[in-house]
Amino acid sequence: MNAPEPNPFTKKRDRIQILGLNRESMLKYFFGGNASLAIVVLSLICIFLAKEALQFFPSHHRGLQLYRLSGQEFVDYLEDESRQHKKAAGYLARAYYGEINASSKREQGLLVAYEELSERLERETSKEALLFNTTFENLLDLQFEIEDSESEEDGAESFDIEAAKAEVTALTTRLEERRRTLRERKTDALKDPGMRELDSPISLSETEFQNIAEAIITTDPDAEDDAPHIQELNRTIDDKKAAAEAEYQDLFTQLEAFRAAGRPLDELIGPLRDHARTTKERAVAAETLRKGKEALLAGAENARDPERRAEFLADAEAIELEEVPYDELNQIFYDNIDAHHAVTSQMMRDLEQLGSQVVASGQTTIAQTNLSRFREELPELLTMLGETNDKLKAWRHDTPFPFLPSVLAFFTGKDWVTNSSWHDFYGFLPLFTGSILISLIALIVTVPFSVGAAIYVNQIAGWREQNLIKPVVEFIQAIPSIVLGFFGIAVLGTTLREVSQLEWLAWVPGFPMQERLNVLNAGLLLAFMAIPTVFTLAEDALNNVPRSFTEGSLALGATKVQTILRIVVPGALSGIIAAILLGFGRIIGETMVVLLVAGGSISLPDFSEGIGVITQPVHTMTGIIAQETGEVDQGSIHYRALFLLGMVLFSISLLINYSAQKIVFKYQLAR
Amino acid sequence: MLLENPNSSLMETPSLEEDAVHTSPSDSGESAPIIDIEGVDFHYGKSKALSDITLAIPEKQVTAFIGPSGCGKSTLLRCLNRMNDLIEGAQISKGVIRILGTDIYDPTVDPIELRKHVGMVFQKSNPFPKTIYDNVAYGLRVGGLTDKHGLDEIVERSLRSAALWDETKDRLKDNAMGLSGGQQQRLCIARAIAVQPKIILMDEPCSALDPIATMRIEKLISELKSDYTIVIVTHNMQQASRVSDRTALFYLGELVEEGTTEQIFQNPDKKETEDYISGRFG
Repeated sequence: MNAPEPNPFTKKRDRIQILGLNRESMLKYFFGGNASLAIVVLSLICIFLAKEALQFFPSHHRGLQLYRLSGQEFVDYLEDESRQHKKAAGYLARAYYGEINASSKREQGLLVAYEELSERLERETSKEALLFNTTFENLLDLQFEIEDSESEEDGAESFDIEAAKAEVTALTTRLEERRRTLRERKTDALKDPGMRELDSPISLSETEFQNIAEAIITTDPDAEDDAPHIQELNRTIDDKKAAAEAEYQDLFTQLEAFRAAGRPLDELIGPLRDHARTTKERAVAAETLRKGKEALLAGAENARDPERRAEFLADAEAIELEEVPYDELNQIFYDNIDAHHAVTSQMMRDLEQLGSQVVASGQTTIAQTNLSRFREELPELLTMLGETNDKLKAWRHDTPFPFLPSVLAFFTGKDWVTNSSWHDFYGFLPLFTGSILISLIALIVTVPFSVGAAIYVNQIAGWREQNLIKPVVEFIQAIPSIVLGFFGIAVLGTTLREVSQLEWLAWVPGFPMQERLNVLNAGLLLAFMAIPTVFTLAEDALNNVPRSFTEGSLALGATKVQTILRIVVPGALSGIIAAILLGFGRIIGETMVVLLVAGGSISLPDFSEGIGVITQPVHTMTGIIAQETGEVDQGSIHYRALFLLGMVLFSISLLINYSAQKIVFKYQLAR
Repeated sequence: MLLENPNSSLMETPSLEEDAVHTSPSDSGESAPIIDIEGVDFHYGKSKALSDITLAIPEKQVTAFIGPSGCGKSTLLRCLNRMNDLIEGAQISKGVIRILGTDIYDPTVDPIELRKHVGMVFQKSNPFPKTIYDNVAYGLRVGGLTDKHGLDEIVERSLRSAALWDETKDRLKDNAMGLSGGQQQRLCIARAIAVQPKIILMDEPCSALDPIATMRIEKLISELKSDYTIVIVTHNMQQASRVSDRTALFYLGELVEEGTTEQIFQNPDKKETEDYISGRFG
């Protein structure tokens, strides 16, 4: 029989076949495989992250449970009172020392000016001073040798005393000569008008400047005492301080009494704190033992070799579990509630009385602000003292810590304290706030710059400018973030602080700034990093606005600027928003710069200054992960807390990217 | 008409307006040319696109530019409202174009003001991604008119003139992108006439439309010519013969022949014209 005649459309058989696949399907599966690999890897990352991170909550819950069982919670109620008391006392102390120092402000300013000026003159006259010093030391050496040889009875033959004495005379003359030159040189240098521009907090009158100058000129390098004028200044300061101390004797007594009132509370806390810590240590040790025993028992279960199993069982048997007698241990706290009540009642009486005695207002602004702060803190302290006792009475060490609040404790916690000998707190707020503050600053700076530049390059610039600006902006992306961090520490931080100290900028909230490394500094650097991203994407979005829109607008007699503002930018708006969101994603995920430049203070920034909060140091979610991951034990609660932070960060980035894609998609439909 | 133009107060070139008054056509006889093109050469960078074009376009008539692709008819059209300014390296190297007696390439002429008098409708309809109302009002608003009442009135009048009012009066606040292709093109015409130009340039306005939509636009063009001077570029010879009063044929950047449509189509002077009209080349 003949084979059936193949029709012309029969599928040709590929000569190369592996596993029944021809070349085309192999390529198809290869590409498909690549695509699925990406999905698999992403899911693996998500699962791993979630697994590690979510285990944080049970551990955290156990930790808080232990915190309560061991009585640490009880002690922290007391500590809160003590802390509040010390805070109030601190304001009072600052008010007092503000008054004392203010009494001799002028003289202290003069001293500062004197020191600054002599330092400058030393730099100016270093050569002359060096010559003087050399001669002076030679002279001293020679005199010493002469004394030496004179004391030795017969004297060394080789040493010619007469010649040496002549030399001494010559050296003395030279010394005097050099002293004169040095003084002349100093006098000359002082004639420079630049010498009058000092950093001193006060401005000097002509006489004051002359007096100081005189003191500097006459103080030679070999002088043993300060110039008489300076000595007098120091004496005046001492006198004035003493006078002020006498004047503010009352305030001082009140301050001392205020501090003393808190002492019984501290004395009460001391032993309780030690007790709670010991209980906690015992509990932790017992827990470790229990885990060890469990591990051994599990090992015995899985061991195939009966000998090994017996070995494991014997080891497990040998571990004696200690049941921590919490009821007994916590009795001390219940016993002390009455003592606490007595202490705080006395304290409240004392403080109330003292509070009414303290002067209403101070002489200086420092004293005034601190006194008013003291007055704000005092009622808070009194309420706290009044309420804590009820809190203590209601407290039971064996009430189980509810699970949901332990989860919330992470998201609303204001403290991130790790590796502490007391208790580790994992509060997410300070880190989250830091990240958000920095990102906000960065965005506020990035958006106008990058969108503005994109509009200029895309709509206004000629091709020559485009060819210059686009590569330059995109080149910024090539700067490694660690290098930018260096720049932030070395240049930007210092410059910002100097600028913030300018007098005419004092109205800016937060100025002058205390810290070089802070939110503002990090935000500016991150803005710099995000500008290329946002610029490039926004420029693309503008480019995607059809040219026919622009032409239509111009043909209707609209100007270039009208066309840009009314047609091009609205047309590209969703693309621009997506660009900004992606820039935000880059900002919030950035690590190196914030680790170096944000200041690294893990506490909730103080919002009482309003916008001034941007001059405070913070820590961020990314920064803390980078900083602490290296030093944690795998599987510990701290390790898991860092993973949880990572997961939160991941969710934020995911959300941002998702919204950006959504917006772009919507935009494409509109066209 | 110019004097009623809400934008005329913004004119930076009073000469244009004055000339408009002086050179306005007399009531009798052949109207004076509103556009006067004299010996124009045009370059894109180094390549020459137009050479020595001389052409006069009369007022309130429809003039059609025809010719094969790349013959320079669109280029010449875009010279008339200086849209070619947007292309880097494009310039008129010789000759003068006068509109209402003013040399529009004179340095004192502001192209923005010029375009308010010389409107344009493009090959592909290009309504802005805004509402229908905002599209029509756009030219007025950029010209500085903000009075709501005045805007309403002009938008309605323009849509009526563009024969679009009945279809859109209930959906003025809808996005213009939702209109059909023919409606979009009529919207673009309404948008152009809203600023009350003297001249409307149309660059192959029907090339992307179906025959029915094309017919409506052609009807609109013949209605509009009582108020506006229309210059239309077209590939479609039948269209040129249907809508235009005068026709100019271009080939390889040169003006081959121009005259009344009747004469060009029925009794052309030049052999090339006859060949092109009868479809022997092009």
